[in-house]
Amino acid sequence: MAATTRVTAAPARLNLSVSAIRVIGAVVILGIWQLLALSGLFFRDVVPPLQNIAGGLIKLLGSGAFYANLAVTGFELILALAIGGIAGLVVGLLLGSRALLSDAYESWLSYLGPTPKIILFPVMIMLFGVDSGSKIAMGAISCFFPIAISVAAGMRGVDPTLRRVGRSLQANSWQMFFKIELPAMAAPLVNGVRLGFGVAVIGTLLAETKLSNQGIGFMIINAYTRFDMPQMYALLIVTITFAAVVNAFAERIAKRFGGAGSGRKP
Amino acid sequence: MKRVPIISPAFLLSIGTIAGLLVIMQALIMTEIVSPYVVPLPSDIAASFWRVIVEEGVPGRFAVTVGETFAASLLILIVGIPVGLLLYRFGKLRLAFEPWLAAMAAAPLVLAYPLFLVLFGRSSLTIIIIGFTAGVAPVALKTIEGFTSTRRVLIDVGRSFRLTPAQEFRQILLPAALPQIFVGLRLGLIFCLINIVGVEFLINLGGLGQLINDLAERYDLPGTYAAICFVVCVSILFFAVLDRGEKWLQRRG
Amino acid sequence: MIAERDIATSVAPGAKPAPSGPPPLTVENVTKRFGEGPTALTAVDSVSFTLDAGEFVSVIGPSGCGKSTLFHVIGGLSDVTQGIVRVENETINGPHPAVGIVFQEESTFPWRNVIDNVAFPLELRGVSRSERHAAASHYIDMVGLHGFEKRLPSELSGGMRQRVSIARTLAAKPRILLMDEPFAALDEQTRLLLGDKVLQIQQQLKQTTLLITHSITEAVQLSDRILIMSYRPGRIKRIVNVDLPRPRTSDVVSSPEFGAIVADIWADLREEASRGLQESERGQG
Repeated sequence: MAATTRVTAAPARLNLSVSAIRVIGAVVILGIWQLLALSGLFFRDVVPPLQNIAGGLIKLLGSGAFYANLAVTGFELILALAIGGIAGLVVGLLLGSRALLSDAYESWLSYLGPTPKIILFPVMIMLFGVDSGSKIAMGAISCFFPIAISVAAGMRGVDPTLRRVGRSLQANSWQMFFKIELPAMAAPLVNGVRLGFGVAVIGTLLAETKLSNQGIGFMIINAYTRFDMPQMYALLIVTITFAAVVNAFAERIAKRFGGAGSGRKP
Repeated sequence: MKRVPIISPAFLLSIGTIAGLLVIMQALIMTEIVSPYVVPLPSDIAASFWRVIVEEGVPGRFAVTVGETFAASLLILIVGIPVGLLLYRFGKLRLAFEPWLAAMAAAPLVLAYPLFLVLFGRSSLTIIIIGFTAGVAPVALKTIEGFTSTRRVLIDVGRSFRLTPAQEFRQILLPAALPQIFVGLRLGLIFCLINIVGVEFLINLGGLGQLINDLAERYDLPGTYAAICFVVCVSILFFAVLDRGEKWLQRRG
Repeated sequence: MIAERDIATSVAPGAKPAPSGPPPLTVENVTKRFGEGPTALTAVDSVSFTLDAGEFVSVIGPSGCGKSTLFHVIGGLSDVTQGIVRVENETINGPHPAVGIVFQEESTFPWRNVIDNVAFPLELRGVSRSERHAAASHYIDMVGLHGFEKRLPSELSGGMRQRVSIARTLAAKPRILLMDEPFAALDEQTRLLLGDKVLQIQQQLKQTTLLITHSITEAVQLSDRILIMSYRPGRIKRIVNVDLPRPRTSDVVSSPEFGAIVADIWADLREEASRGLQESERGQG
């Protein structure tokens, strides 16, 4: 029944505004969900009705445990971004300004970039213990790669004319970097941090689901073991929404700095 | 395309760096500055490579991971391209839902793996569905991009030869969109593979990812490191081949 | 306009046998407006002319005079607001099979090599592979690209790609060849040499051709007749017969007769071009 409304939406598209189509789409999806939830086809709470999920959300946001765990994960994420980000920035700048280094290491970097980082988790546990240390390391390694790759590409993409302008005005190398190169590569830099943030969230939280006793990732896997489905849905909604909002925000900043959402390469 | 000779200074530098790092590690661990109970000797890791491959059934596990990736990619292909085509065909739908697809592509959906576990059980199906969820959005997005970026004049050429709509699709739109669709498939495949190996590790099921988890749980340190090295090498090889293939395709496009 | 056609046929040198049957192309009172109401822009205003069999006619005018619009209308790629276009007495309604079109923009298929690009129209008709390749080779030789059959467009220069497009259009054996500034993106020397190529082909095939261009030298070098268009609204301001002897080559550009015709056309065109420039500058400010 719900499916037919979707089909008829297409021929009538001339009279519908884009936001109306969106609302219809959302209503159809939520409607199907609710029907499935009420159909009794699934085991107990596997597909809980919407009101239960809403209840789970309210309960979650009202509980002190959530904020305690959020603080742990937030702390890990910030440290991970700081460590991985600074390392990525330094490596990216080196690779972007020295052709020999770029030729020697950059293809390794770009092929290592997409390998699944989570498999390094056992090593990180050996090196940094079972507590926050190994989670921070996972986040840092994850965000290192996209930031280093974007910064290297951004550094190479700085218009040589701008550098010549700087040299003609006798800028020293600090001025050259802070006044010319850094502003010129702002868009790829922000974009790298955006991508890095996304994978750092994944790295840190996945590590928390694998082995830990605190953090949002731990709460997710804990909800799974206790089969508290409304709480699990609530946690996933909060986490994914948070990541999406940060991503959209960073994308907007990158655009303000001169385009280059994701595709443009120098 | 600039052609770099195989034995270039850069190549020597990169190989030299890797060899140097291994030697330094070996020295640090032999002198016990780094505990051998944290990082095993590189020589031990190398020695256990063969053992891991033979005793832990690596070829079979490899086949399992490849099979799951293949199944998920097939699903991505069957769903992603038609969804992209549909949104290209109906402009209003595209305006409405393309941002949703973009949000989906950027969202950390893999964090929902416990949910998929509940929905589909602890089976290969869960892994395949997670791989599919991770890769389908970029394929649909790139499909839309490929079709919409078809140059107007090529469509006009088709009209001047009075192509039927089916011919226009087959002879103009599809080949013009194909390079972009391949870019999307490459991205989809990458996301798919990363998430499949990761989830295998996390839920301790199936192929190569599970092998690492298994060895780590047995405290087989050299084995764990060897298995990680193996997976990293396989993925480097995979991405390098994919990269070359795409460059080759781009030169044709 | 009927008188105009009489002049053309009577004055045209190298007199071809008088065309029997309907003229290949008749443009009758064609008007094309964009938009509605007071903001409507009349791009082409009551344009009429006729093309005789084997004749090479150019339409020339400053940018913005509506010559590209005229091209799209004759090619059947866009509708007319008023008037009709007839191909051999058949009123067109969309692209006509007898009209072959060469576009201004790069229009080779990047995914097909040279021979498969040229063989494309034959492939559509279901001609067998060996036959269509034989025919395509013929046209590839004609545009001077022998030896490049297996190359991809990305491996060719802009001028070579444009020749591939011309060969592809010719392979469909159009009775009327319609070209929209095919050499606009090329440098001056390449344009002259390609002009030579077009002249050779023209002499070989006796191809009825309508060329849209903004280059006076190109128009004079190639045409039997030149239609000068005015700037907004686009009307035919004057028709110039080019009585230079045929066969011509690009050497013709150095003859005094050539210079005289160019100067004559420029006098007319300068007025239109400067009017266009003024209006676009006013639009900027």
